[in-house]
Amino acid sequence: MELDKINKLLEAYFDGSTSLEDEAILMDYFNNHTVADHLLQYKPIFVGLSAAQNESSNRNFKIAEPTAKFIKPWWYAVAGMTVLAVGIGSLFLSQPQLSQEEKETLIAFEKSKKALMMLSENLNKGTQQLSFVNQFSETKEMFWKETSE
Amino acid sequence: MDKKEFTEIVMPLKDRLYRLAKRILVSADEAEDAVQEIIFKLWKGRQNLEKYRSTEAFAITMTKNYCLDRLKSKQASNLKIVHSNYPTSQNIEREVEANEGVALVFKIMETLPEQQKIVLQLRDVEQLEFSEIAIILDSNETAIRVALSRARKTIRETMIKKYDYGIR
Repeated sequence: MELDKINKLLEAYFDGSTSLEDEAILMDYFNNHTVADHLLQYKPIFVGLSAAQNESSNRNFKIAEPTAKFIKPWWYAVAGMTVLAVGIGSLFLSQPQLSQEEKETLIAFEKSKKALMMLSENLNKGTQQLSFVNQFSETKEMFWKETSE
Repeated sequence: MDKKEFTEIVMPLKDRLYRLAKRILVSADEAEDAVQEIIFKLWKGRQNLEKYRSTEAFAITMTKNYCLDRLKSKQASNLKIVHSNYPTSQNIEREVEANEGVALVFKIMETLPEQQKIVLQLRDVEQLEFSEIAIILDSNETAIRVALSRARKTIRETMIKKYDYGIR
């Protein structure tokens, strides 16, 4: 490899005026040949660039499946609606069933409470009236005592 | 375009797209996510894929734009992309990085402005013609030559400063 040619190519390289072929020559020189001492400073640049060319990713890139992309939301929607419908339905269906019995019991309880209250009120009235009877019997007792003696 | 055809056209590009994504985003994980996203997008728009003159140029442009957007949104939300490129992955780059000089070259490449970084990647790593790069970056060949020259010179000068090669 002519050193003179490499020197010229290098100069052109840094001016951005080399062709792809020229750059391939430079790349080959710095990667595969014994580099002249005064050019050693450029070696890392070309070694690095050639290393960068071989870099790749190990990840397994996927192509989006068109079917998976469209059917999935549809299934999700149906499943979601079903769950929601069942939830709301059970809420509506279960509540009246329970309260039907409860309501009847509650009405019966209220009614009997009212009846008992009325009974106790009247009973109270009755005992109040009874005190008069008591008074009467007391006086009658006194009267009877006097007359019997 | 069916799945087989799509795979034949797009899958050979994946490494090229990955390298560009990694050049821009630095993190290998982020770059892989970006490539996956681009493949999804290409598949979604596969009807339009035939319209473009070069699927490859289109895919590279898409990757470039996506990665730059990603970078911007990360910066906007004050989140830096932290790269945890563990040495377990068997990348040749890493093996060579043991060489101090080469590691420095990669570090300098990270500090380049995005546009120069992309031009350098497409030309010196992917070896594309200037005309192709001009289409991908929606620019002209002169502007690309200038950006490329700047990028290459920045690497050279930073290397010389660091190692004092010039003085010895």
